[in-house]
Amino acid sequence: MLRKYLTIWNIIFLSVFIILFLSLIYPLFSIFKASFINPETGKFSIESYRKFFHYAYYLRCLGHSIFVSLIATFFALIIGIPFGFFVSRFHVPGKSIIKTLGTLPLILPTFIGAEAWLLLLGRNGLLYNLFHRIGIDIPSIYGWKGIVLVFALQFFPYVFLMVSSSISSIDSSLEESARNLGANSWRVFRTITLPIVTPSIFAGALVVFYLSIENFGVPILIGEDYKVLSVQAYNEFISEMGGNPSMAGTLSMILLFITLSVTVLQKYWVERKSYVMSSLRPPEVKRLKPFPTFFIWFFCVFIVSFALFPFIVVIISSITKTKGPVMYYGQFSLENFIKAFKIAPRPIINSFFLATVATIIGIIFGILVSYLIVRKKGFTSYILDVLIMVPLAIAGTVLGIALASTYNKGMIVLTGTWMILVLSYFIRKVPFSIKTTSSLLHQIDTSIEEASINLGVPPLRTFIKIIVPIMLPGIFAGAILMWVTTLAELSSTIVLYYGPWATMTVEIFQRIGSADFGPASAYATILIISVLIPLFILHRVLGKDLLSTM
Amino acid sequence: MQVLLKEINKSFGNLKAIDNVNLLIEDGEFFTLLGPSGCGKTTLLRIVAGFCKPDTGDIFFGNKKVNNIPPHKRETGMVFQNYALFPHLTVFDNIAYGLKARKVSKQIIYSKIEKILDKVQLKGLEDRYPGQLSGGQQQRVALARALVISPQVLLMDEPLSNLDAKLRVGMREEIKRIQKDLGITTIYVTHDQEEAMAISDRLAILNFGKIQQIGTPSEIYFKPLNSFVAGFMGSSNLIKVNVIDYDPQKSLLETEVNGNRIYVKSDKISDKELIISLRPEWIKIADNESNKKVNCFSGKVINVTFLGSVLRYKVEAFKNLIITIEIQDPQFYEIKKEGETIFFQFGVDRPVIIES
Repeated sequence: MLRKYLTIWNIIFLSVFIILFLSLIYPLFSIFKASFINPETGKFSIESYRKFFHYAYYLRCLGHSIFVSLIATFFALIIGIPFGFFVSRFHVPGKSIIKTLGTLPLILPTFIGAEAWLLLLGRNGLLYNLFHRIGIDIPSIYGWKGIVLVFALQFFPYVFLMVSSSISSIDSSLEESARNLGANSWRVFRTITLPIVTPSIFAGALVVFYLSIENFGVPILIGEDYKVLSVQAYNEFISEMGGNPSMAGTLSMILLFITLSVTVLQKYWVERKSYVMSSLRPPEVKRLKPFPTFFIWFFCVFIVSFALFPFIVVIISSITKTKGPVMYYGQFSLENFIKAFKIAPRPIINSFFLATVATIIGIIFGILVSYLIVRKKGFTSYILDVLIMVPLAIAGTVLGIALASTYNKGMIVLTGTWMILVLSYFIRKVPFSIKTTSSLLHQIDTSIEEASINLGVPPLRTFIKIIVPIMLPGIFAGAILMWVTTLAELSSTIVLYYGPWATMTVEIFQRIGSADFGPASAYATILIISVLIPLFILHRVLGKDLLSTM
Repeated sequence: MQVLLKEINKSFGNLKAIDNVNLLIEDGEFFTLLGPSGCGKTTLLRIVAGFCKPDTGDIFFGNKKVNNIPPHKRETGMVFQNYALFPHLTVFDNIAYGLKARKVSKQIIYSKIEKILDKVQLKGLEDRYPGQLSGGQQQRVALARALVISPQVLLMDEPLSNLDAKLRVGMREEIKRIQKDLGITTIYVTHDQEEAMAISDRLAILNFGKIQQIGTPSEIYFKPLNSFVAGFMGSSNLIKVNVIDYDPQKSLLETEVNGNRIYVKSDKISDKELIISLRPEWIKIADNESNKKVNCFSGKVINVTFLGSVLRYKVEAFKNLIITIEIQDPQFYEIKKEGETIFFQFGVDRPVIIES
């Protein structure tokens, strides 16, 4: 009986590894191989790498990627650090709303943010025209400035969340004992508070840098001639001239190298340097004098409004009368929605269908893998633990290219089917499901299982009857995170979709490309609502902070 | 149900967790495994439950060897240290869990649960969730859940260690009462020697995976077999002495420590060197030193602790040894101060000879 039980889990172990091999390792290996093969002769060649390091054109892409990511990180820190300090240390009127709204930007799709800024400041943009009419030319949104603007406004919540959770975890006795030893409040801040928070600031910075460098939607929409790595890899792969798989592979490998390095740095350096404290008494929230309080309040409200403003613009645009690129602001019309629902409902159905299928598979896989990682400790489960977080370190574009170039020929052909989209969504988003379920499983003592077994229920049935129900909140949270982020996925979809399986994100992207802003905004609004409703439910049902689990 | 453990060995890596353990637990007996943390007592309990496979050795329930019976078929009822209540099930469903697994009919489940709730005094809490219960109540649910399946053996792993001191005493009396009522063979694990003495019919003392001594609480307290047991069960003065002479008529051993003569009752002649154990409450305070009295000595008080029912002295005596002396009911007693000289005495039948 014990034997039988062991083999069941071993079979699950094996299947998990096969799935990971097919959806992750093998595709990555294929583009790695492709990057070393001359597409004309089919022989081994380092031509692509030589080209990359030889031509200024490619090196400039790399430079652009790093440059925008660094500047965006810098601004995200400038906004996020004070924001985090203010809301966790001082009394701010309307704090809980400010905090909730402050986290929203990070779940709203970045390319929709980009669309909004195009609507405002692009050629023919609302504000651009307004200022132009009175004789002021405001600087162009196109190029690196626009990219940095969108990144900083949408990614600063990561910094703010990490900083504020780290501050709240400092036991007030630490600062009190520093005061007791004779340090004034500035000295306490400089020598105690800041050093303890520093690792979280660094962690937040790495997340922002990573998200910026792997982003595809924003630079392709408002970068124009300012090409970054992800965009260039996509262009090489999709190129109407027949594409260059070797060069696309090379660019992907270089992007992969950067994202992996950032992730490794994050995991092994920052995690080791962060201070784990069980805070008994969180630091006191100070009430400042009216003027400083107003200043802090104004800062927070300004940042939140500024970050959410674009999405309001998109929603308003969706109900505005349009004619091609021309928006008649002030004239309301539901025409865009009617178009979206009646003439072209397919992308909406596609998005929901694909996200749902990927999520269901992700949940089942997530439960099993969490159990293996947490309960069946050993070398194999350690490898699994590391492997399963790799998708978080791969740019969507790179994974898309990898899957497309692996499954377009040979034994399994998936290109041109919806299944390759599901595969990509599944592997990209399953870490969310695993993270949320396994963190819950960690809290369930093994003795709970043993109690059930001791009372006469065999191990596998114990797993289903006891463990799964207890993990349910984590499974639910993971499912919603997967579903929501899958809906908003653009970077691998754009590589992998074909005609009838275009999703909402693809539809939005293409309509922005052809300056068809009305319907684009309608789809974007539907997408925003579809993302916010489940998160609102999650928040209500589980009382979980928005994306605190991400 | 009689439980027999035969030559059980278990290692985790290089660590020998269980070292050749042999145990016979009688039917209906309340048997305790006592020892410091890491001594292997929990491992031994888990071996009985089937959660841990011994490297060698056999486990018998009655005449039946249970080595290869998986834990869910072993018919043991286990109470875990943290209770391991299912957080998503009510008190009723927690207790019914094992019965449902045995496909017991609904009617019988209801009547059994009613009876057991009565026994553990939990009536009226059936619909609560574990999170809504106090520590003591959770403990009762865990006990009820283990008992309701009428297990062959009840296993309890430090069940009281999460309760506060007052509740602990009340609960242990209750556990004992319920166990005697049901007459169920029970193996109980604890590191608390007072708890072990209060609750057990017999106990085994473990250290480094080895059984040090098996016996009733009084046997173990008064006749410790080695210095570990003597020190672990209550406190004890362990004095290393040299044997000088043996008087077979009086069965008296004459020993010496740093020039002082200590006489010890003994049936047989002993080795040259041995350790004697002297409990602090066995030593009496003498009025003044009289050399005629045997086993009467003086020392310097170096520490006084007043505990209400007990007064405890640490005394430097026999040149450089620290002796602990306890005086029960010290109300009409003049308390000595640190630095003062004190005289103490004990009978020749008091010291217990320990194989060293």
